[in-house]
Amino acid sequence: MSAPLYEVRNISKKYGSVVALDGADFQIHAGEIVGLVGDNGAGKSTLVKCLSGAHKPTSGSIFLDGAEVTWDSPRDAIEAGVETLYQDSGLAPHLTVSANVFLGREKYLSGPLGKLGFLDNKAMNKEAHEDLDRVGIAVPASNRSVSQLSGGQRQAVAIGRAVSWASKVIILDEPTNHLGARQAGEVLEVMKAARAKGLGVVFISHTLPHVLQVTDRIVVLRLGKIVANAPTSEFDAEKLLGTITGLNQVQ
Amino acid sequence: MGSLKKLSVSVIAAGVVGALLTGTVVAPAQAAAKKKIAFVMGAESDPFFQAMKVGAVAAAAANNVELIWQGDPSEYSPATQIPVVDQVLALKPDALVLIPTDPTALQPSVAKAKAAGIPVINVDTHVGDLKDVLSFITGDNADGGAKAADALAKAIGWKKGKKYKVVVGLTSATATTNVARLDGFSKRILRNYPGIKIVDKAYSQSQPAKANTNVSNWLTKYPDLAGIFAIDGTNAAGAAAALQAKGLTGKVALIGYDAYKANVDLIGKGVFTALVAQDPAAEAKLAIEYAVKYLNTKSKSGIKKNVVIPNVVLSKSSTAADLAKYTYVQK
Amino acid sequence: MSTVENTSIIKKFAGNQQFLLLLVWFGMVAFFSAFNSIFFSTAVFGNILLDWAPVVLMAVGQSFVIISGGIDLSVGSTVGLSGVVAAFQMQHMIESGKNQWFAIAIGTLVAAAVGIIIGLVNGFLITKAKIVPFIATLVTMGASAGLAIIYSGGAPVAGGPEKAITLSVPWFGPFSTPGLIVVVIVIICGLFLHRARFGRYTYAIGSNEFAARSAGINVNRHYLKVYALSGFLSGLAGMYYYCRLGSGAPTSGYGGELDAIAAVVIGGAALSGGVGRISGTVLGALILTTTTSGLIIIGVAPDWKQVVVAILIAAAVLLQGTKGDSRGAKK
Repeated sequence: MSAPLYEVRNISKKYGSVVALDGADFQIHAGEIVGLVGDNGAGKSTLVKCLSGAHKPTSGSIFLDGAEVTWDSPRDAIEAGVETLYQDSGLAPHLTVSANVFLGREKYLSGPLGKLGFLDNKAMNKEAHEDLDRVGIAVPASNRSVSQLSGGQRQAVAIGRAVSWASKVIILDEPTNHLGARQAGEVLEVMKAARAKGLGVVFISHTLPHVLQVTDRIVVLRLGKIVANAPTSEFDAEKLLGTITGLNQVQ
Repeated sequence: MGSLKKLSVSVIAAGVVGALLTGTVVAPAQAAAKKKIAFVMGAESDPFFQAMKVGAVAAAAANNVELIWQGDPSEYSPATQIPVVDQVLALKPDALVLIPTDPTALQPSVAKAKAAGIPVINVDTHVGDLKDVLSFITGDNADGGAKAADALAKAIGWKKGKKYKVVVGLTSATATTNVARLDGFSKRILRNYPGIKIVDKAYSQSQPAKANTNVSNWLTKYPDLAGIFAIDGTNAAGAAAALQAKGLTGKVALIGYDAYKANVDLIGKGVFTALVAQDPAAEAKLAIEYAVKYLNTKSKSGIKKNVVIPNVVLSKSSTAADLAKYTYVQK
Repeated sequence: MSTVENTSIIKKFAGNQQFLLLLVWFGMVAFFSAFNSIFFSTAVFGNILLDWAPVVLMAVGQSFVIISGGIDLSVGSTVGLSGVVAAFQMQHMIESGKNQWFAIAIGTLVAAAVGIIIGLVNGFLITKAKIVPFIATLVTMGASAGLAIIYSGGAPVAGGPEKAITLSVPWFGPFSTPGLIVVVIVIICGLFLHRARFGRYTYAIGSNEFAARSAGINVNRHYLKVYALSGFLSGLAGMYYYCRLGSGAPTSGYGGELDAIAAVVIGGAALSGGVGRISGTVLGALILTTTTSGLIIIGVAPDWKQVVVAILIAAAVLLQGTKGDSRGAKK
C-alpha cells in the first residue's frame, strides 16, 4: 500500500496523572475508511482530539502527507484539510443551513463592504445547496434554520459540511448515533462518497454492524493502547466485540 | 468541582470588592482607649452626605475619637441600610449616629443598639419613636419647605385671585426630610398663597436622570406650568437640566433644595430662582460633639433632645460669601 | 379548513415578534393619547426619545452579549463611571481654556475608552479567569459603581462645556443631535449583527459554542470583542447622560442594566443565546420608555412602570415558549 495520508506515531496524552492515550500508532490512507472502535474510556475521543487539533498530545508526532505537523488549534488542522465532526455538536441550531456549512469560512461581498466583513448570503446559500447536493444530501432549502430540520437532516448537513470542506481527511465521531436505520444508511452512503472523492475517512462508532458494513480497516483501542489494526475482512461481529472487551486477541 | 472552585473564588472576589466599596473607615484605630463613634448615613453618592462626612471627619479629629463612616454606596433605602447598621453594631461602637432612611423600618435597629448599651443620635431624619434616641439634630425641613413656597410665590409674581400650576419633584415618599419639606411647602401655600395648585408629584430615587424624565414630561403636559419645587439636590439637578434643554430657563420658576456646587453655579445663570440650603456639616459636627459629651459625662445635661439648624435661601441677591459658605463641601 | 388557515396566519404573525411589539407600541400610544391628547405630540415623543437613546445604547450592546449566550450586568455602572471620568476631563479642558466642542469631542472619546476598558476587563474575566459572565460582570458592576462614587465624591461633576446641554434640544422633529447619532449607531450595529461576520459569529457562539470552536472560530477573542462593544456603547450612554444633565452624575446609569436586559428580552432574545434581533431590542427599549413618559403624562405614578415591564417580560418569554413548541412539532 502507498504511504499513509495522515499518521500519528507513538502518541501519548496524559491528563494530570491519568494516561488517556499510551503510545498509539495510527494511519489512514487516501480513499480509505478506517473504523476506530473501543469501549467507553478506551481513548477514542482523546485520539480524535489529537487528530483534530483540539488537544495537543503530551508526546509523539503527527504527519500529514509525509510531513511532520503540529496543531495549535482546530483551525490549523482545518486549514490543512483535516475536518472533524464531533458527536452531536456539529451545528449551530439557530443558524441557517448555509450559515452552518460556511461557518468559519464565510464568503464576503466584493468591495469595501466585504472588507468590513459583510456577508454574501446569496452566494453562500447557492453554493451550500450545490455542495450538499454533490455529496448526496438533499436539504429542502439552504436558507432554513437548522432547528427546523429533523435529527437525520441535521446530521446529514453536518457530514455534508465536513465532507465538502475536507480536502484530505475527515473524522466522524459517532455520526450515526440517534439516527433511524434509513437515515444511518444515508450517512454511510455519504461516507462512501467521501472515500470515492479520495478522502481518508476516520469513522468512530459504537454501532459495530455499521463499522463492519462500511470500513476497509478497523483499529481497536483498549485502555489507551491500540490492540488491533487489521482489514475489516478479518473481523466478524463476535470477534470484533471480543477484541474490544479484551476477551480475545487478534494475532 | 473545578467550576465550583472557580465560582467560589469569584464570589469571594466579588465580596472583597463589595467590602472595599461599601464604606470607608476613616481614622484607623490607634490607641485602644480611643472612643469609636459609628456614623451610618443614607447614600454615599449624595453630596449632601459627602458634605456631612466632611463635618463628621473634622469633628472626630477635633474630639480625638475614631469615626466609623458607613452607608450604602448609592441607594437611599432601608433595605440596604438595615444590614449596614447590623454590621456596624457588631463592631461594638461606643455611640451610633444614624440617619434613618425610613422612620418605621429602622426603629428595631435603634432598639437593638439601645439593648447593646449603645447611645443613638439621629441626624437629618429620625425614627418614628424618639424615646430611645439621645438627640435628633436636623435642618428645619418644614421651615425650608415654607421658605421655598415664599420664594416660589415671589418668583411667579403671585397675585390674589390668579391660578398657578406647580409641580414637586421628590426622592422618596417616606424619607422624613421629604415629607417635612413637602408639608411645610404645602401648608404655606394653602395659608398664604391661594390659587397656587400642586398638580403633580413623582419620585426619582436619588437619580438625576429620573428626575429629569419627570420634569421633562411635566413641562410638556403643562404648557402653562408656573413653577417647580425640586425637593432635594438630585431632583434639583434633573429639573435644572430639563429647563435648560427645553429653553424654559427663567420662564418657569425653579426652586431647588441642597446647595450642590453645580446647582449653586446655576443660580447665577438664572436657572434656579432660589435654592434652599441646609448645613449638613454643622449637623454632623453637633452630633459628634453630643456623642462625645454623653460618653464622657454619662449624663444628658447640655444635650438638647431636639435641635433644629435653620435653612437659608440662596438666590441671585445672595452675597458671594454666603454662596460660598453654604455650598456643600465636596472632597 | 378556514380555521386551519386562520390559525396558521395567526401563528405566522405571532411568530414575528417585531410585528407584535409594533402593535403593542401603537396600542400604548393610542391608550395614553386617549387619556391625554397631549401625549400625541412631537414634544412627548421628544421626551420619550430622550430616555430611549441611552437605554437603547445599553440594550444594543446587551443584545450582542445575550445573543452570544452571556449577560452583562455592568452596563449601568459603566454609564456612571464613564460619565464621571469624561466630566472631569472636560472640566479640566474648560478650565484650561479649551474650545467647548473640542472638549465635548474629547469627552466622548474618554467616555467610550472607559467603557471599552470595563468591557475588556469583563472579557478577560470570562475568557481567561473562566468566571461565568453573571459573576464576572457583577464584579465589574460593583467596582465601577464604587469607583464612580469615590472618584466624583458622590456629586454630579459639572464645570464642563456649557454647550453640552444645548445638544439635548430636539431640532429634527423629536430628535436631538445625540439622539440622531444614537439612531445611526444602532443602525450600524444592526447591520453588523445581521449582515456581517461579526454578528454571524455572535449567533454561532451563542447557539453552539462547541460547533463554533470546531469550525475554527476564535471564540475567546470574539467574547472579548462582544463585551468591549457592550462597554463602548455604555460609555457613549454615559456621555449622552452628560449632555442631557450638563454634568456627569455617578448614579446616571443606576439600574440601567435591568432596563437594557428587559428591552432585549421583550425584544425577543433568549437568555440561552443564539436568538434575538436589533429591531426587537429597539422596540423593546421604545416600549419601556414610552411607558415611563405615558404614565407621567396620564398622571399615574411611574412606579407602575415596573408592573407593566414585568408583564411584558412574562409575555415575551411565554411567546418564546410557544415558538419552541411549534418548532418541536415540525420534527
